[in-house]
Amino acid sequence: MKPNTVRRTVGYLWILPALLLLLVFVYYPIVENFRLSVYKWNAFQPEPKFVGLGNYERVLADPVFWTSIGNNVGYAVVSVVFQVGIALILAAVLEGVVAPRLRGFLRTIYFIPATISITIVGLLFRIIYQPDGLFNSFLALLGVHSTTAWLGERETAIWSVIAMSQWQNLGYTTMLFVVAIQRIPREFYDAAAVDGAGPVRSFFAVTVPMVREMTTLLMIVTISGAFLVFNEIMATTAGSPGNSSQVLGTWLYQSAFKNDDMGYAAVVAVVIFVITFTAALLQLGYGRLRRVEQ
Amino acid sequence: MKRIIGIALALALAAFAAGCGTNPDNGGSTDGGGTGELTGKISFLEKWPDPQYKVIFDKIVADYIAAHPGVEIDHQAVGDQPIKDQLRVLTSADELPDIFFAWPGDFAKKFIRGGFAADLSEYLNGTEWGDSLAESALGAYKYDGKYYGIPINMNAKVFAYSKSAFSKAGVQPPTNYEELLASCEPLKASGYTPIAFGNQYGWPAIHYITQLNAEYVAADVRNADYDPAGGAFVDPGYEKALQTFKDLIDKCSKPGSNGISHETAQAELTNGKAGMQYVEVLEFVSLTNTETVPESWLNDWDFFAFPPIAGAAGTPGAITGAPDGFLVNGKSQNIALAVDFLKFMTSKDNAALIVKDIGWPSPVAGSAELAQATPEVQKAVTMMSAAPEMAIWLDTETHAEVAQAYLAGVESLLNQDLTPAQVMDSVRAAAAKVKAENS
Repeated sequence: MKPNTVRRTVGYLWILPALLLLLVFVYYPIVENFRLSVYKWNAFQPEPKFVGLGNYERVLADPVFWTSIGNNVGYAVVSVVFQVGIALILAAVLEGVVAPRLRGFLRTIYFIPATISITIVGLLFRIIYQPDGLFNSFLALLGVHSTTAWLGERETAIWSVIAMSQWQNLGYTTMLFVVAIQRIPREFYDAAAVDGAGPVRSFFAVTVPMVREMTTLLMIVTISGAFLVFNEIMATTAGSPGNSSQVLGTWLYQSAFKNDDMGYAAVVAVVIFVITFTAALLQLGYGRLRRVEQ
Repeated sequence: MKRIIGIALALALAAFAAGCGTNPDNGGSTDGGGTGELTGKISFLEKWPDPQYKVIFDKIVADYIAAHPGVEIDHQAVGDQPIKDQLRVLTSADELPDIFFAWPGDFAKKFIRGGFAADLSEYLNGTEWGDSLAESALGAYKYDGKYYGIPINMNAKVFAYSKSAFSKAGVQPPTNYEELLASCEPLKASGYTPIAFGNQYGWPAIHYITQLNAEYVAADVRNADYDPAGGAFVDPGYEKALQTFKDLIDKCSKPGSNGISHETAQAELTNGKAGMQYVEVLEFVSLTNTETVPESWLNDWDFFAFPPIAGAAGTPGAITGAPDGFLVNGKSQNIALAVDFLKFMTSKDNAALIVKDIGWPSPVAGSAELAQATPEVQKAVTMMSAAPEMAIWLDTETHAEVAQAYLAGVESLLNQDLTPAQVMDSVRAAAAKVKAENS
């Protein structure tokens, strides 16, 4: 045997255990999920029944599925606005305008919510959003008298959860932008100032282009995260009232483990997979494009 | 890429390790040994992880092991909500414990239909043990004439009320539904929320609907509809029940109930801000917890059953409620040991311990007297024994999809998003789907 062939064979042997684990725990469940999506089955039914594309037809005709998709899209849009747009502005203000001594303090304040467990945050906001809770008391201070049960009404439930999520995650993405901004050479700002640029002009001409990679990364992470969201809903509304705050993740869970409809849940999983896989492809494609540009 | 593979590897290993950890060891054997001594290992899953309850189950397990040195019991406690999901996950993974909690109704029947619950009739029919358990509680786990479950307590829904609030408002505990409705105005005028109600979890409303369906719909019609293979839900009583519930809540409770938790509503009652709340008898232990309830409440409360609705077509005097109990895994290698442990758990002494320490009404004959149960518990036991029908919780009695349609529908009804007729349309649609799959 040639030495090259031996070396190659040994190399394959080295990666074999990892490859096997990946195949068994990552790729096999994905393929199996596609297979199960064409069956009607549940935990109590020993023999799955083949239904072809029946589960797919049911999903497409189910208003709760579309409500879930709409809620995920809403989650993604608001999260991009806050966790990317507003976080970038906040980071720029922290780094450019706020006095250095105050910066550390404010960074800590913004970051604290990200360190709290979602279960505790959920419990906290369930109390805050009650009709006679802190949020309505705060509104009363502003002269708005409300008895809205924010998590208990169809129109407000999902938006209240989304707002809670922004409160929790804004500080984290702000910190990532702060780090990205700190890596921009000061000379760029000095040059912009010499050219007569004020803070706003510097922000658009220097900061925004120089943190583009971080912005793209956070956009993709935030959008993927918005389609995988689960804990935030389970810790607050669990999809209620009347399924109005369901998202794909919770609807999958409820279909599988509450409605005993595993095949249907597998279809929802396929939809989540397609969406997040597309986001990952975009990320890979963008990364390759950047490398070519450089 | 290296990092992705690393993370995937770590996750895969974690999943592998977790899989190893949760695989129950049923390798032990039931050894008659000629002496009747049981040995082996069984797993036991219940739904009371709160320290006040867990200590009792821990003691029973420890006492059993002390009396049977060759026995090992893997005892796990999971909360009320997560156990519903955990049982399904364990079932699909074929890792169901030897003894597990199950609500009566279709929740338990699913396990029975799938062959995951052992027929316990031979241990109960005509035996001393079988005779010691109240038939009303045992019957909740009866399916096709066979007993599948062992009840651990008896439970019912009642209105707990503040005696001082009723006295201040000049009202008496109602004897019919009209009086209940009429008591709301005077209670409101006296500064109380007449009925404290929080429906954040969905089931508090479903308990009202269980009761009102029992009042408005004849038992045979209801039983046929609640059966997954029957489910027509065309009786007009169902819509009447929803309308009555809505009228009661609109008139007697605060708005926004879908955003208020049951516990918050209960705090309103015990803190003297509400007149009454629809509670489970098993909640008496929270209502009398001296650490969490104001002293002013402790001697100021009593309870009454849901008052009957005159002229309704259902069972007058029916009470919503059902026992909690355990099933034995039909595929267990240690059924005899599991049954013996349940027999020990429901012995008169252990039942008395449960009554005394956590205030649960017990299905075991003579345990209340032995434990010198509180007057409230004794009154509840008498009330349950006298009830012409115990209506099992709608969300465990019906198929999961019908229950979910009811849960979502009633939440929307409370928010004025759906009418009673529209709620019943969605229930009928769910029932039709379930019927097609089960017939």
